[in-house]
Amino acid sequence: MIAMDDLRKQFTTGRGRQARTVVAVDGLTLHARDGAITGLLGPNGAGKTTSLRMLVGLVAPDSGTIRVDDVDLRTDPQGVRARLGVLSDARGLYPRLTARENIVYHGRLHGVADDVAHARCDHLARLLEMAPLLDRRTDGFSQGERMKTALARALVHDPANIVLDEPTNGLDVVATRALREALRVLRDETGKCIVFSTHIMQEVQRLCDRVVVVAHGRHVADGTVQSLCEQAGSDDFEDAFVKLAFGQEGHAR
Amino acid sequence: MNGARMSDWQAVWTVFLKELKDALRDRRTLMAVFVSSIAMGPIMLVVLSSLVGKFEKRAEAREIVAIGIEAAPTLRNFLERQTFAIKPVPADWEKQLKDSKLGDPVVIVPPDFEDQLAHGQAPRLELVYSSANQRAEGGVSVIRHVLAGFDQEQASLRLVARGVAPGALTVTRVDEHDIADTASRAAQLTGMVPIFVLMAVLYGSLNAALDTTAGERERGSLEPLLATPASRGALVVGKWGAAFALGLLIAVLSCMSFLPAQSMLRSESLAAMFRFGWAEAAWFVAVLAPFAAALSALMMAVAIRSRTVKEAQANNVVLTMAVSLSPMLSLFNQEGESAWNLWVPPMAQSALMNRVLKNAPISPLDVAPSVIVCIVVTTLSLAFVTHQLTRRAAQ
Repeated sequence: MIAMDDLRKQFTTGRGRQARTVVAVDGLTLHARDGAITGLLGPNGAGKTTSLRMLVGLVAPDSGTIRVDDVDLRTDPQGVRARLGVLSDARGLYPRLTARENIVYHGRLHGVADDVAHARCDHLARLLEMAPLLDRRTDGFSQGERMKTALARALVHDPANIVLDEPTNGLDVVATRALREALRVLRDETGKCIVFSTHIMQEVQRLCDRVVVVAHGRHVADGTVQSLCEQAGSDDFEDAFVKLAFGQEGHAR
Repeated sequence: MNGARMSDWQAVWTVFLKELKDALRDRRTLMAVFVSSIAMGPIMLVVLSSLVGKFEKRAEAREIVAIGIEAAPTLRNFLERQTFAIKPVPADWEKQLKDSKLGDPVVIVPPDFEDQLAHGQAPRLELVYSSANQRAEGGVSVIRHVLAGFDQEQASLRLVARGVAPGALTVTRVDEHDIADTASRAAQLTGMVPIFVLMAVLYGSLNAALDTTAGERERGSLEPLLATPASRGALVVGKWGAAFALGLLIAVLSCMSFLPAQSMLRSESLAAMFRFGWAEAAWFVAVLAPFAAALSALMMAVAIRSRTVKEAQANNVVLTMAVSLSPMLSLFNQEGESAWNLWVPPMAQSALMNRVLKNAPISPLDVAPSVIVCIVVTTLSLAFVTHQLTRRAAQ
């Protein structure tokens, strides 16, 4: 279970007279329960990536609390990281290592024993349909192959909570479908808590049990796809999203 | 199944093994490092020795190139008595001498040499050489010496003919004593060996130090790595360990490469003087180890703020220059080694290695300053890298 409450973060860019303060996240609240896929939906620059970075502890929030399975990030950041599997927007691999070596390396850093890490690697390769890739060096992998390897790397320690930052960026239809299928299996068969950030309506409609809409770093609405449509008084989810995220100003556009 | 929390040392070991494996698979870079830092030193040594060998051969050859010697039978007689062979001069000798193709200075004898000598006049001999032609310049002092000998013999004969003791012209006597022992004489030539091994350490660690910091950021693998529960300090120490190990490995290999190179030395006296055995190699490695530790940590500290490897390389240029140039300072320093040199790496390492080559005694007090400085630099650099990873992780 992931609980982020009233998160705030602002960045200062430039120095001296040219210093400018940018508010990235402005009081965001997000609760994601186990056995469900929670979508974090927002336009570009809404603060999705910054929020997820704060969740992993890569960026310190100015205020607010983050708890994962009732472990507080401030008091036990390593405990929080151990409970999370993160596929961030930076999903670089080591090109001179094979896919398996990439995955097992992260498993070892999560404290998983060597033989267990190898077994998990084989299991995930079957789930993500990437078994033939395992013993190839990742240099020259396609976008889809990279994403699968990075996802397997994020899941190697079998975390109870999975965080994905725009995972379908740059993927073709087949790879996107395979990813969706894998996430459904993880939710239904193992009861994971999955948080999924995106700006693509279709993905949210097809996959998410609950959606949290963010705009300008703020939480503007949440609920199922259907309840959000009702809330906005629209049949079309895209229209509903534009109304909720941009208000009247967006609707006029 | 959340993995059991890993101890810091396990994390250090995991990172160390991975980085080492990663670096050793970078064959192209490794080959470049091997060729430049392991083969280069011995090759230079062999080339230098063949050059010295040629000088020696020239000195032993006792040959003189003279024009118009047929007009000076007295001089010829003297030279032959001194076991000098008189070589004919090539037609375009002046050009050859300028272009360094002719390796001997040329003596020009005037046609009326014998006549002037008989009448007690001083015939003018010309000694032609080019100071830009090192080979020929080497022979000048020998020729000058033998011509002075001729002068003295003729002068003595004239004095004796007039009933004056030749000793009257000898006011003082000069006895020369060269107190340099063979090892320290050789160190003049072998002074470049420390520079080579210092550079070898630099190039050994450079790639690993940059790839594990700026490279990690550039390829976007830093963020996932920091999302693991391994502590920042453990990640940094593991990465540093790999860079340090590679620097040390190249240092050991480059020191060892001088062992077989010795047997290929062309110059016998240089071979006799350049004593580089297992003991010297072990000393070198012991002196280089703390330096490799400090240098790899410092390079990581310089690189950690860079977003790309290219930027990190540019930032590390100053460090590379300092490592390659500072030992040269002591090479050109006329005043010899100062006490503060032992506090400044890599001058300290270069000074200590030169002492090893000169067979001079080294006390623990000589080694201590540089070791202390290296430990401090290593600790501060690694702390800085850890701090940067904690603060600027995602930027």
